[in-house]
Amino acid sequence: MRTMKLRAAAATVLLTALSGTLAACGDAGSEGEGVDVQAEEVEDGKFEEGSRMAELAEAGSITIGVKYDQPGLGFKSATDDIPTGFDVEIAKLLVADLGIDPSDTSAVTYEETISDNREPYLEAGRVDLVLASYSITDDRRQVVGQTGPYFITGQQILVGADSDVESIDDLVGETVCSVSGSTSLQNVEDAGAVGAPADTYSQCAEDVLNGTVEAMTTDGSILLGLAAQNEGELKVVGPEFSEERIGVGYSQDYPEMCEWINGVLTEAYEDGSWAEAFEATLGGDDVETPEPPALDECPAA
Amino acid sequence: MNVVLDNAGDIALAFIYTLSLFVVAGVLSLIFGALLAAARVGPVAVLRKAAAVYVMLIRNTPLLIVIIFFRFAGPKIGLTFGFVDIRVADIRLNNLYAACAVGLIVYTSSFVCEALRSGINAVPLGQAEAARAIGLPFGGVMSQVIMPQAMRHALPPLASVQIALLKNTTVCGALGVFEAFARMRGLTNDFASARTEIFLAFALIFVVLVEVLSFVAYRLERRWRIA
Amino acid sequence: MSAAPEEDISAGRGEPLVVLEGVNKWFGDLHVLQDINVTVNRGEVVVVIGPSGSGKSTLCRAINRLETIDRGAITLDGKPLPQEGKELANLRAEVGMVFQSFNLFAHKTIRENVTLGPIKVRKMSKAKADAKAAELLDRVGIGHQADKYPAQLSGGQQQRVAIARALAMEPKVMLFDEPTSALDPEMIKEVLDVMVDLAEQGMTMIVVTHEMGFARTAADRVLFMADGAVVEENTPEEFFTNPQSERAKDFLGKILKH
Repeated sequence: MRTMKLRAAAATVLLTALSGTLAACGDAGSEGEGVDVQAEEVEDGKFEEGSRMAELAEAGSITIGVKYDQPGLGFKSATDDIPTGFDVEIAKLLVADLGIDPSDTSAVTYEETISDNREPYLEAGRVDLVLASYSITDDRRQVVGQTGPYFITGQQILVGADSDVESIDDLVGETVCSVSGSTSLQNVEDAGAVGAPADTYSQCAEDVLNGTVEAMTTDGSILLGLAAQNEGELKVVGPEFSEERIGVGYSQDYPEMCEWINGVLTEAYEDGSWAEAFEATLGGDDVETPEPPALDECPAA
Repeated sequence: MNVVLDNAGDIALAFIYTLSLFVVAGVLSLIFGALLAAARVGPVAVLRKAAAVYVMLIRNTPLLIVIIFFRFAGPKIGLTFGFVDIRVADIRLNNLYAACAVGLIVYTSSFVCEALRSGINAVPLGQAEAARAIGLPFGGVMSQVIMPQAMRHALPPLASVQIALLKNTTVCGALGVFEAFARMRGLTNDFASARTEIFLAFALIFVVLVEVLSFVAYRLERRWRIA
Repeated sequence: MSAAPEEDISAGRGEPLVVLEGVNKWFGDLHVLQDINVTVNRGEVVVVIGPSGSGKSTLCRAINRLETIDRGAITLDGKPLPQEGKELANLRAEVGMVFQSFNLFAHKTIRENVTLGPIKVRKMSKAKADAKAAELLDRVGIGHQADKYPAQLSGGQQQRVAIARALAMEPKVMLFDEPTSALDPEMIKEVLDVMVDLAEQGMTMIVVTHEMGFARTAADRVLFMADGAVVEENTPEEFFTNPQSERAKDFLGKILKH
């Protein structure tokens, strides 16, 4: 229940943020537990003999790396069987395309990956895919395969409700919290603020609340969730000052997965299931659903 | 190794934070720990008891919890260290730094106290008696005769405590200080292709720092050893 | 210069210096000092002997309050022993003490052992304290080893340094608590020689010892203690040739057979 309420609240704040008025908060619409995605029939010859997709479809089981601690993208509360969020919804579409039931927890394992272990997990084959607010970067592409993006987000700032701060430029010399090891932390340092590393986003939010730090920063979608949890005490401000291209990670051992992932994403863009996934998670009844981002070309095999 | 060299400036800055935490917490924990030890062996019963309770409480509490207390429980009761804001070139010693440093001092002091107490206990009683017999008052007995010898006995455990402190500073990397550990996580996240090198480089720097510490301790031990 | 103590300390010879009146002490149920009444006069050498556990060491240590007493009074030069604190420290500076186990400060050189008291307690300048230490160390035959540490010296040498350390404070009285008991036999003489010298120069001395030879040659008086009480008090000549008590006869019988 908590997740639903939170998501609804997040949607509300997102709306107000988009329309530029931060003061008012509308009523939140209610939603279901994500989209019910059905497994597709896999016909013979759909996947090329010997491809990784064929192996997975044959085995009927898959492991996906997702985040457990980012409301809206990948979040799992103690009572959930399956994590929720936009990342998870996209994962479901990929799983279903292999003919596996995404809601069957005996066939699909949603393994928690944190920022540090996404590449090692892919390299070691511990997870087959990573959909964990996984920014596409050139450096990461040296060790793992990444394709997409299926979502574009940017870094924003979360401050106390009574703060005068309007953008990162107002925070030069001030202390700004973000999760230890994140690119966000590096970005605020580059902008002239003092980075304060923390273990979790909620820890940062706590520090903003009690005034220990001036602000916190990370992807806007996460900040909206936190602001919704502390309505009236925290607010998201400023333009996005970085662009994060969220994509799907796969192992470089199976380059054939890239075209398949792009295919599934393209199909989802066209048949409306991408928009449906967005509306069920980051979006909502009142939120305008953005255009799906253009996909990168797969590297030549 | 390119990633490490390209980011040498950031890494150096991170280790300056690490070392400054170590020096600040190291020096102050030695002073506070010595006071605690004096209280523990001193003639005032209330102080003896208070120091014993302090050591029992703090030494049995994980470091992370001690620091989290100052980082998160502290602000709730108005203890924010907001008055701390020291800027030296690129180094910023702010309220978070202060909270972490205080946590390290509080924690490490209890170990310093016990190391010194074991050192004091290792000084034969006759030394104190002889010092009293030539007319030295309590303070003189402690400072001229007991403490110098206790330090000698306590040096190996004190060195261990300080080495542990150097490594314990990494806890601050998740609690608001952009020291070596936080920097390492930033680099491993940004440069997934060079993780092994980054890990090795940071581990190597720590090994070198601890080796330097061990060497200093060893030299002191040699110098203070008598015949 | 004050480094000629033989003249100072013989002044007023024969007047009471250390007086114990009705001194009692218990360790739990054990009555270790029983109604001790002893007067030691200035310039006198008093040797305390007795079987082990007779309380003679406790008596010696009580005189500079390394042991407290439960009843009675001890006065030094007419003044009662103060309680803990600065005054007690001042009193102890007046009473030299030599321990069975030497107790030289292990982390200080021989010279520093001797100068610590004069510099820190008597506030003497370092140069003056060094000069005095050199003279005292020469006197006890350790002058050429001043820069060594205690552990580099033999037991006999260490004990002679301990005597020099006590003398550096120019004490009114010297207490010796079994000064030769921890020494190898060949080193006993070198320490006793120093003590005999000191006695001849007129130093007031209270010596707890098993060295009967020293008692015979140097003592003015012998106190024989047993079970916490002073059983017999006499000149050495009388005590050794004609002990009065059964306890003393028994004790002398045992030790003189060796």
